[in-house]
Amino acid sequence: MSFTLKYKDKLEEKEIPKSNYSIKDLIIELGLSTQTVVSKQNGELAIEDTIIEDGDEIQLIQIIYGG
Amino acid sequence: MDCTKCGNPNVIIKKEQSGQYLCKDCFIESIEKKVIKTVRKEKLLDKGDKVLVALSGGKDSVTTLEILNSFREMNIIDLCAVTVDEGIDNYRQDGVDIAIRHAERLGIEHKIVSLKDSYGITLDEIMKKPNHKGSCSYCGVFRRTIINKAAREMGATKIATGHNLDDEVQAIMMNYLEGNTDNLTKLGAKTESKAKEFTVKIKPLREIPEREIGLYVVAKDLEVHFASCPYAQQSFRGEVSEVINKLSESHPTIKYSTLRGYDKIKNALKDDFKKEYSHGRCEKCGEPAANKLCKACSFLEELAGD
Repeated sequence: MSFTLKYKDKLEEKEIPKSNYSIKDLIIELGLSTQTVVSKQNGELAIEDTIIEDGDEIQLIQIIYGG
Repeated sequence: MDCTKCGNPNVIIKKEQSGQYLCKDCFIESIEKKVIKTVRKEKLLDKGDKVLVALSGGKDSVTTLEILNSFREMNIIDLCAVTVDEGIDNYRQDGVDIAIRHAERLGIEHKIVSLKDSYGITLDEIMKKPNHKGSCSYCGVFRRTIINKAAREMGATKIATGHNLDDEVQAIMMNYLEGNTDNLTKLGAKTESKAKEFTVKIKPLREIPEREIGLYVVAKDLEVHFASCPYAQQSFRGEVSEVINKLSESHPTIKYSTLRGYDKIKNALKDDFKKEYSHGRCEKCGEPAANKLCKACSFLEELAGD
């Protein structure tokens, strides 16, 4: 079971590590904050509670930069 | 979970502060309605105004332009824009290009002014000087002066900036924590100066959280420049922002309550702490100045001496 992560113009194939693995889990795992990114599931905007399914393309867009 | 307003199952946001779930269309509508409400409540616009948007090409200024354009379409106001090119290699040009495309798309008057043309020096060159005072000090002062001059040249009656809820709350807390009562009197949705050379400034996005502005531009497919300024540094503002965001996780309405609390005491603060500055003229450039030289010219003198 895997999904494609699209982040900063890079595509990466990733395993789904557990059942009910959400976009929020992914964001935290990447060391990002839900406050600074928005997410898309298969090209459509999705909330962070969305569960990632096999074959999904998950895109994270950083909208806030520190400084 | 379905959209609280229309029942659409494709929700794009859970608003922590209200518990609402919203789909894309209801979210876009909620943002635009809220900005329009701020404009009306704070009396930010008058019929016949010519509003100059300080347009960097980033999410906040593009959203400001987009929503103010609805007032232009209703023939309430006229719009124009200015973009300041600070001269930052591998950063600013993308924002300038995006700003040009938005102005062309809406068919509005647009001016691009560079620090190099105005002051003979770029921000990159300033940062190579040995005794510089940090990029943000120069950028803030030069940009403010350029935008003000552009407002006069373009006949604008208001200047609209993209300050959002997070910016405003950070400013309130920073100035409070630093005991800067003078700066605390200057915040708010609309700032006016006694000097007629300073155009009235308005902040239509003042009640919209920064993340929601980011989501709005993505939801509306608006082209914006998402990038970090290479000179952004760990600042006091950054530290304050981190604390406020951390508190917001368990107290989701805290940014709004901070803003509302400030708005309640603002007039009392002004009565007791507002300083009256003398409004002379800068001996060098003729712009309004509290001292012999305006801040921009005194920076230029210091830089020339380095």
